[in-house]
Amino acid sequence: MPNVAVLTNDLQYEFTHKISTDAQELDRMIKQFNVFLDGIRAASQVVVHLQLIHDPNDPQVQRRYRGRAIPAIGGTPGNQLIADVVHPSDVVVVKGRDSGFYETKLHDTLQDLGVSTVVVTGLQTHVCVQTTAADAFFRGYKVWVPEDCVFSPKPEDTKRALDWMAGYCATIAPSSEILARLSTSDDLPGRGEEAAA
Amino acid sequence: MTTAHLQSSSGGNGSAAASAARQGPGETVVLDHGTGAKLSRELVERISETLGDTYVGTMEDSALLELPTNRIAFTTDSFVVTPLIFENGDIGKIAVCGTVNDLAVSGARPLYLTLSLIIEAGMPMADLLKVVASARDAARLAGVKIVAGDTKVVGKGEADQLFINTAGVGVLERPSVSVRNVRPGQKILLSGYIGNHSIHLLSIREGLGFERNVLSDCAPLNHMIDAVLRSVPAGKVASLRDVTRGGLCAVLHEHARAVNCAIRFEKKALPILMEAAMAADMLGINVLHLANEGCLCLFVEPDVADQVLAILREDPCGENAAFIGEVEASSRPEVRMVELDGTLTTIEELYGAELPRLC
Repeated sequence: MPNVAVLTNDLQYEFTHKISTDAQELDRMIKQFNVFLDGIRAASQVVVHLQLIHDPNDPQVQRRYRGRAIPAIGGTPGNQLIADVVHPSDVVVVKGRDSGFYETKLHDTLQDLGVSTVVVTGLQTHVCVQTTAADAFFRGYKVWVPEDCVFSPKPEDTKRALDWMAGYCATIAPSSEILARLSTSDDLPGRGEEAAA
Repeated sequence: MTTAHLQSSSGGNGSAAASAARQGPGETVVLDHGTGAKLSRELVERISETLGDTYVGTMEDSALLELPTNRIAFTTDSFVVTPLIFENGDIGKIAVCGTVNDLAVSGARPLYLTLSLIIEAGMPMADLLKVVASARDAARLAGVKIVAGDTKVVGKGEADQLFINTAGVGVLERPSVSVRNVRPGQKILLSGYIGNHSIHLLSIREGLGFERNVLSDCAPLNHMIDAVLRSVPAGKVASLRDVTRGGLCAVLHEHARAVNCAIRFEKKALPILMEAAMAADMLGINVLHLANEGCLCLFVEPDVADQVLAILREDPCGENAAFIGEVEASSRPEVRMVELDGTLTTIEELYGAELPRLC
């Protein structure tokens, strides 16, 4: 059973412009992202894709997008997960809010899998990644965030969010370090555990 | 003892809508629930039944009240909170607690409330009755009676599910407390965490993940306030405020301005839940500006400050009470915070509404 789950946030076609608006750059970044996911799968850990689907009849959603088109409507082509990042062994959990845990089956799914550590990735760093990381921390998971696998259109938003997560709830590290650790161990240490030891 | 009125009317022509009123779990409020006809009467009956023994009206045009004194406190407040129902409360609870607390911080003993509902057609009946039941429970907890009320139903889009107005009457059985009694040298206390209510609601609105760890503090504070005022000599508690809209910042500025003094408080002394601080930091908002629904700010003479703190901490709503600062003489009103490194920061009053519809 896996100890570690990589949670991807909102890797859906309609949001790829938040990773990069340049097609070649986007392709390169997705390939690099897949190197990490493949490494996770090879280490017998699990990948969980959090797919954002808004309920257009939800008053909170209507209020949030008042005057604008509501994004992430289920069934639309843009709402689909990027096919290149999804593997048959992966798990998909639908969410309707920023945090992947908010009124979803994510926590139960992770508990059923035996997961104690989550690695939060995807976009946007200062919205869904940040809230999902905080929510995971509150639920008792060890939280890691690979700094090269999280995306916001503005680099300063990513930096501020990473600083916040490092200060409160997560261990920030390059994805290569996470893979290296999982090549020698079947789990990742908690925040501050190594320093304490 | 009392006579009262819970009346009903509609903001539109809804005669055809009566047939659209669905029964059972999916039942919703329709315009005809407010037209004054049979459906209106049935809605009022359901509301009064739900209120149970906290409602002492007799369905006449006014509540006739007997009061033990001719010194009363009288207040009103309107509530437009979103989301309507949250983890540990709802707009009904807030509507009762808010008005009870406004009476209690004046030094009054709250006795009677009115409860007026403006309902948007289409609101689930189950949600409406849940809110009314919460109002009942909060009234019971506070020891007040609901003596009159009103329901209005407006069309879809003319309100946001439910707005509530409550008015309240309390009796003054001891010298009143007032911001005008504040003087240099007095100590400032908070009865509990600040920021929790706002963070809780914001987290639900956006699905941030803090809502299970940071609950609303909404509660009636009248019993705790009574315990304080009963225990110390009259005049020793100069002023009381429930720290609602505008947050602690607004309360401190109100007092500094009213008596032209300086207020100094220490950042490290502020009772702030770690998770609330995390959320505020993430959202880029200042906890000092956040609305609360169950937190009290007290200005007291220094010789009773320890006693007041001990009394607060005996109450479940005051177990995290703390000294946060004191009033100082000054040539102009100002509010200053002692930072963690000992430096002083002037805290400016918020110009506009940073966060709407939290109460």
